[in-house]
Amino acid sequence: MNITVLVVDDEKPLREFVRRNLEVRGYKVLTASNGLEALGVFQNEHIQLVIMDIMMPHMDGLEATRRIRQDSHVPIVILTAMGEEADKVRAFDLGADDYLTKPFGVGELLGRVKAVLRRADWSEPVSSGERIARGEVEVNTERHKVTVRGEVVDLTPTEYNLLLYLLKNAGKTLPHRVILQQVWGAEYGDEAEYLRVYVGKLRQKIEADPMKPEYLLTEHGIGYRFEA
Amino acid sequence: MRRWFKFHQDLGLQLLALYLFLTVPFLITLATFDRIVGEHIRRDIQANDLSLARAIALETDISIGDSLKSVSELSKYPSVIDLDDAGMESVFQVAMDTSPNVNLIYRLDESGIMRFHYPIGPVSTVGTDFSFRKYFQDSLLSFQPLISEGRISPTTDQAVATAVMPVHSADGKYLGLVGMNMRLESLSNTLAAIFAEHAADEGFEVLILDSAGQVIAHPNSEYLLKTADQILPDVYKDVLGGNSGSIIEMDLGGVERLYTYVSIPTVGWGVVISRPTSAAFATQILLRRVVILAAGTFILIGLFFWGTLAIRVIRPIERLVPISEAIGLNQPIDALSQIHLQSQTHREDQIGQLIRSILHMKDSIAERMREQATLLETSTAVVSSLDPEIVLDQILEQMGRLLQIKMYAVIALDEENGSFRIRASRGLSNQFTAQLSIQPSEPDSVTMRALHAKEPIQVSDTETDPSYAIRRQRARVEGFRAILAVPLNTIHAPPTALLVFYPTPHVFTQNEIQLLTSFANHAAMAIENALLYERSDMRLREQTHRLEALVQSLQDGLILSDLSGEVIYANKRVGALADLSVRNLTGMQTEQILARIIDKASSKQDGKRKAQKIMNNRGEKTVEITQNYFDQVVHLRLEVFNVNDEEGAAIGRGVIFHDITADRELDRMRASLVSTVSHELRTPLASIKGYVSTMLADDVEWDRASQHEFLTIISDESDRLTNLVNNLLDLSRIEAGSLKLSREKCDIRALVDRSAKQARTSGKNKLELKIAQKLPSLYADRLRMESILRNLIENAVKYAGEDAKIKVEVGKTGEDFVFRVSDNGPGIPLQENQRIFESFYRMDDSLTRLSSGAGLGLAICQGLVRAHGGRIWAEPQEAGACIVFTIPIKMNSSSVEQKKPRKKASK
Repeated sequence: MNITVLVVDDEKPLREFVRRNLEVRGYKVLTASNGLEALGVFQNEHIQLVIMDIMMPHMDGLEATRRIRQDSHVPIVILTAMGEEADKVRAFDLGADDYLTKPFGVGELLGRVKAVLRRADWSEPVSSGERIARGEVEVNTERHKVTVRGEVVDLTPTEYNLLLYLLKNAGKTLPHRVILQQVWGAEYGDEAEYLRVYVGKLRQKIEADPMKPEYLLTEHGIGYRFEA
Repeated sequence: MRRWFKFHQDLGLQLLALYLFLTVPFLITLATFDRIVGEHIRRDIQANDLSLARAIALETDISIGDSLKSVSELSKYPSVIDLDDAGMESVFQVAMDTSPNVNLIYRLDESGIMRFHYPIGPVSTVGTDFSFRKYFQDSLLSFQPLISEGRISPTTDQAVATAVMPVHSADGKYLGLVGMNMRLESLSNTLAAIFAEHAADEGFEVLILDSAGQVIAHPNSEYLLKTADQILPDVYKDVLGGNSGSIIEMDLGGVERLYTYVSIPTVGWGVVISRPTSAAFATQILLRRVVILAAGTFILIGLFFWGTLAIRVIRPIERLVPISEAIGLNQPIDALSQIHLQSQTHREDQIGQLIRSILHMKDSIAERMREQATLLETSTAVVSSLDPEIVLDQILEQMGRLLQIKMYAVIALDEENGSFRIRASRGLSNQFTAQLSIQPSEPDSVTMRALHAKEPIQVSDTETDPSYAIRRQRARVEGFRAILAVPLNTIHAPPTALLVFYPTPHVFTQNEIQLLTSFANHAAMAIENALLYERSDMRLREQTHRLEALVQSLQDGLILSDLSGEVIYANKRVGALADLSVRNLTGMQTEQILARIIDKASSKQDGKRKAQKIMNNRGEKTVEITQNYFDQVVHLRLEVFNVNDEEGAAIGRGVIFHDITADRELDRMRASLVSTVSHELRTPLASIKGYVSTMLADDVEWDRASQHEFLTIISDESDRLTNLVNNLLDLSRIEAGSLKLSREKCDIRALVDRSAKQARTSGKNKLELKIAQKLPSLYADRLRMESILRNLIENAVKYAGEDAKIKVEVGKTGEDFVFRVSDNGPGIPLQENQRIFESFYRMDDSLTRLSSGAGLGLAICQGLVRAHGGRIWAEPQEAGACIVFTIPIKMNSSSVEQKKPRKKASK
């Protein structure tokens, strides 16, 4: 079965480069040259992965990401020429799952695509029908359902995976690198800002007061700990 | 002690003392002399009189003694004893003959009856009983001769005294007596002789008294037998007592007389000599009179001398003393003293001179005081105002008043036209003051001479002074004959001098010159003060004004408040921020204004919190808030600071509202530049890296066509990168104004074609090119022209989409080529028309909302067009965007003129 990938970029050479490389490796690739086009394609096709540039005319990548994220958990990889952390954080805030900084090679492209797809693979069974509960947080691993204080919380795959990993290792202080490699994949390790963004998002969803977390605690300079 | 001091202070007393010191000893000497000499004279006189009296007494005594002896002898005659008249006659005759003083010798019998007397005739008292006589009674008891009292003899009818000898018988039986009458007249004759000797002595008297106090002898026989108390005071009692001496007594007529008396003890009589003291002591009295006269004269002269001295010398001097003191203390002299003093001034002696000179001194002191007072007023005037005109005016006024001069002026160098002109004057004609102009090059003018010599110079008569010859006419017209110039000692002010004119020839005295020099110094001071003040004031005002203007026009708001928070000063910007007029700001509370400003903050809660944080004055001094003003975002940085006085104590607080919107904009633009450049560079790089890595990938084997395609893209993207780098360089050169064009003849069509190709218009893009007929040759920098067109076409493709229609028109208007690049895309918002040309500007705050490179591209276009001497603008049209630029047909040196095009174009 072919995975359908939507590639959005206003620069034709770059768009073609991604398309050609993914197609040759068995992906089905659709393209768009700006955000508006991309939204049109996304609504009409079953897209399993979006690779999107940020700076585009008419509608930029961030806006398109936000709109896609309103009703879909499809993994989105952002392409950006900007290397600054603020932009990444913004992209993550709007719902991106990962990003690639221009210029990038084929290897990096394929590695990110694979890792993102892996994290987003809901069907992948995690043992059998397990229920993990720590404090007021309860996870049904079979149904990927998370309940906090009796209310169901909607999480993206990456958020879900991060929470699950932290819950399983509750009470332990987990270093950034370990978390990244365990949750995002073996090729990750230095992207501490991912964690900051995702932990922040998780806190928004499960903590009673995100400013004063009770479960997701920061161990400065080391990593994070789930306190049960 | 006081008296002693007073004595030392009082010239009158001292002179009096000196006078007494001289006169008293003299008077004492005179008195002593008078006394000694008077005594001596008196004693002399008394001794004289006494010896005279003694001589008389002695003589009398002798003659009485003779008579007594005679009578005693007679008594022994038997004839006498026996009462033998004949015998007695002869005996008595003999006795008579020997005693001339005797005028009768007689014999009384034991019963006192006259028995015989000789001479017998003419009257005979024989037979008369004389027993009643005292001498008869006395003789009864005596055996010694005795003398009777003076009496008138009835026989001779003459004043006589009788020497009586009782006659006793041998057995001692009393037989009567023998008496011998001595004529008193004969005694008096002696006295008369003496009296005659003393006839010169006025009032001289001499007499002899018998024991009964009767006058027995007297030069004047009338006094004979008068009792002494009829003519003498009581002195005779003393002499009858047997004493001698002298005494001064008043006589019965009240005249003082010197009585000298000697007793004749044998008979109990006394001699008395008297004379009036006036006569007796005439010498002494004369001497005393002389002495008294001398003393009196001396005293009178002394008094006169004293009086004269007192009136003429001492009193004027005494009056001068308080006056001179009053003069010294500058007190008024009372009118009386004034009159006294005035009455003395006509004196020609030294006192008069002294008074005159003191009065003169008084006048000159008063004059000096007046001068000093005027000078003082002048200096007061100097400091009273800082307006040089007022001060000069006052100085001139004072000067005229004090010196009684009518024409004078202040002349100063007029720096504008380089000559000396009159700056202020009195009593001079307008024409003269307006026309007088002395060139500094006139060294012989009085003014210039004084200024050069730095001392007053005078011309005492313009008609005779040769140095004034060439200006004589001027003096005649203005009517002055003498002139004095006093230079002012100025340092900051231009050279200035005082000029004084006299209508008549006049030699200015040292005093006048000195006074005028004083005035000159004052005036110099005034002018200097005023000038310095004017300068400093002007500078200060300028500075204040500048500061005020600066503060008022600050983009930043400023509030200064006192410690209670009441606003003392707030500038316009604060008013604008708080939406209040500047007038209302003063007096409000800082917090109030702050609250009004925060009211417009994007987030009021946040703003309030931040404002409280800084106003609490704890640690934090600055906060940043974001305000919204009519859709315009303003970033403010609030900074509080303490206003301290010189000692560092807080006297108030200030709040500054930094408008950091521009800073933010700059920051944003800088970030935008970096990210734009970064993005623009990364875009071709990404393609290059992508295709290279694609070809390097091991897992896929690409066919040759693909490989060729990839390599072509890599090559194109490399060119694009190069172009981009060149464009960036050009842009920085344009920004720096150092862009150099290399003009050449260009084919317009070829230019557009190459540009379109470089712009990588897609196959769907339609590029329409319209070139007007008969265009002149275009001379331009080919590469830069391509850059412009490529950027414009690229933009059109980017914004209008891949199937956009792009139209390039080239025409000519006037002296310019006109290039018009339009598309059928969404167009450019009207308000952005101008800003899109600014570097790194993109049409929205959001970087991501627009395609990359847009700002940079247009900015580069604008720089290059301007470098060619042309203009570029966005032209509104119904649909799509249209960018128009011009290139001048005439190739001129506009590129040089347009050295810094960005600066002129920017707002």
